[in-house]
Amino acid sequence: MSRPRLVAGLAAFALLLLAAPFAGLVLATDWRHFGFAHGDGGAVAVSLGLSLVALGLIVALGTPLAWWLARHRVRGQWLIDALLLLALLTPPLAMGLLLATMYGPYGPAGSLLERAGLALTNSAPAFVMAQFYAALPYYVLAARAAFEGVPRELEQIALTLGHSPARCFFRVSLPLAKLGLAAAVALAWVRALGEFGVVLIVAYYPQGIPVKLWTNLQDIGLAAVYPLLWVFFLVALPLPLALGLAVRRRLA
Amino acid sequence: MRVDYRIARPIALAAGFDVEGFTVLLGASGEGKSLLLRAIAGLIPAQGEPFDGLPPQHRAVGYLPQGHALFPHLNAWQNVAFALAGPRRRDEALQWLERVGLAELAERLPAQLSGGQQQRVALARALARKPQLLLLDEPTSALDPVTRDDVLAELIAEVHAAGIPALAVSHDPALAAVADRLVLLHQRRIVQAGTPAEVHAQPASAAVARLLGLRNVFRGKLEGAADAQHLLWLEAGVSLPVRTPLPDGARVDWHIAPEAVVLHDAGAAPADAIEASVELRQSSAHGRYLGLRCGQARLWAGLPSSDAAATVRLSLPPAAIRCWPA
Repeated sequence: MSRPRLVAGLAAFALLLLAAPFAGLVLATDWRHFGFAHGDGGAVAVSLGLSLVALGLIVALGTPLAWWLARHRVRGQWLIDALLLLALLTPPLAMGLLLATMYGPYGPAGSLLERAGLALTNSAPAFVMAQFYAALPYYVLAARAAFEGVPRELEQIALTLGHSPARCFFRVSLPLAKLGLAAAVALAWVRALGEFGVVLIVAYYPQGIPVKLWTNLQDIGLAAVYPLLWVFFLVALPLPLALGLAVRRRLA
Repeated sequence: MRVDYRIARPIALAAGFDVEGFTVLLGASGEGKSLLLRAIAGLIPAQGEPFDGLPPQHRAVGYLPQGHALFPHLNAWQNVAFALAGPRRRDEALQWLERVGLAELAERLPAQLSGGQQQRVALARALARKPQLLLLDEPTSALDPVTRDDVLAELIAEVHAAGIPALAVSHDPALAAVADRLVLLHQRRIVQAGTPAEVHAQPASAAVARLLGLRNVFRGKLEGAADAQHLLWLEAGVSLPVRTPLPDGARVDWHIAPEAVVLHDAGAAPADAIEASVELRQSSAHGRYLGLRCGQARLWAGLPSSDAAATVRLSLPPAAIRCWPA
């Protein structure tokens, strides 16, 4: 076999491997008796509602940080970079344990917050916190790259044309970083919605889709997870898929 | 308008000079010319007048950086309207575009405009800001060589029509030639200022002569007393009679205009004529020149007649040689 054909063959095999699990889901789903397990609806509501809250917090806090990181170089920059990477690379289960240590009922921050009426274990705020920690580093790194792609000269020109730095940000930096920021939001959305490890430790309840999939599997069996799995794909993926394809088209 | 600025970082630069009409600050690359414009626009830390201490958004400057920096996500009129406020922004922007002759292209994005058109949009945008001073960074660098003289004439006509003092920084002698006023920067200092005619008539140093794009600037050494002075042209290995007020043994830079070089007809050359070989012939809209090789040096000579042999004999008249202490 010639070398180009060998490469094409390997590529086709890899694509086949990628497609196999999705084909499996289509084949395994019992379309005639498609029905949800008890509590699936509530899990979808919890996941969608609280993930939106977490996403809002991530964008609100992560965007200024990403902007600052893209535009400033400080001494000890590597420490900041290392912290971001550490948060990104920490395995979800370990992150969950760290959060339980800090924000659990006996943790230094958790005990204080609980006295103030905010329980960060097995509560809606705990669920949001878990998703926030799971997705924030991804958002910040992607948004920083988006802002770094905006030529600094254009922001400076906007200043010389008499606009305040805030107006320059909203009228030049933000529109020019739009696509990259949208990709960052989509990435954060998927990370937050799909987070299992961190959520499992600090917020087993209220049950979102990932934990509910796990309990369905444990309590009933594999066949019981398919309907909820379909819903998960339907709510989690359209936005990131569309944006991913748009970015690819822009690059092409 | 008097401009007086001091920059400490990233390079130290202090410059004070007058800007009148279309003023060109001429200097080699790396002299900090762009930095000076950015300092005046308030984009880097610096002290000086005008606008001392103001943030960039409060400085009434129209800054045109190299490459024009149009906003790629806005079309031509939106770029101009960016400098405007109020409900009539669009109409005003269109009027500015009409002034620079681009009304028909108002809906085009920057990527769909030529370099010269982009520059005019950037100029309209800068003028719409109602500046007291225009700053232009290398305005000729992005222009197509075929159309640049016309684009340049257009630009200067616009600047004059606007009646706003403009400071252009450049290393382009062609831009310097059309300035109202010329300021020369060498080794981070202002070394000469005046009208282009004044500066061309009396370049203050060899560095100025080189910045003006003069050909035939060489190094040499003076020998002998005032009445029998000779210039030792080291690169060519010849000695030339000269008349200067400079002392014996002085190291000098010297210049002779190509048109002043005397080419002798074969057989009619004097005994002390210099022999040179022809390296290239240059014919252009600006004249006809010979590139000659004299020892290690290249000498340019204006070519009066149509023909020249492969080797020529020439003289450099003492009165045409200008010497500066090196």
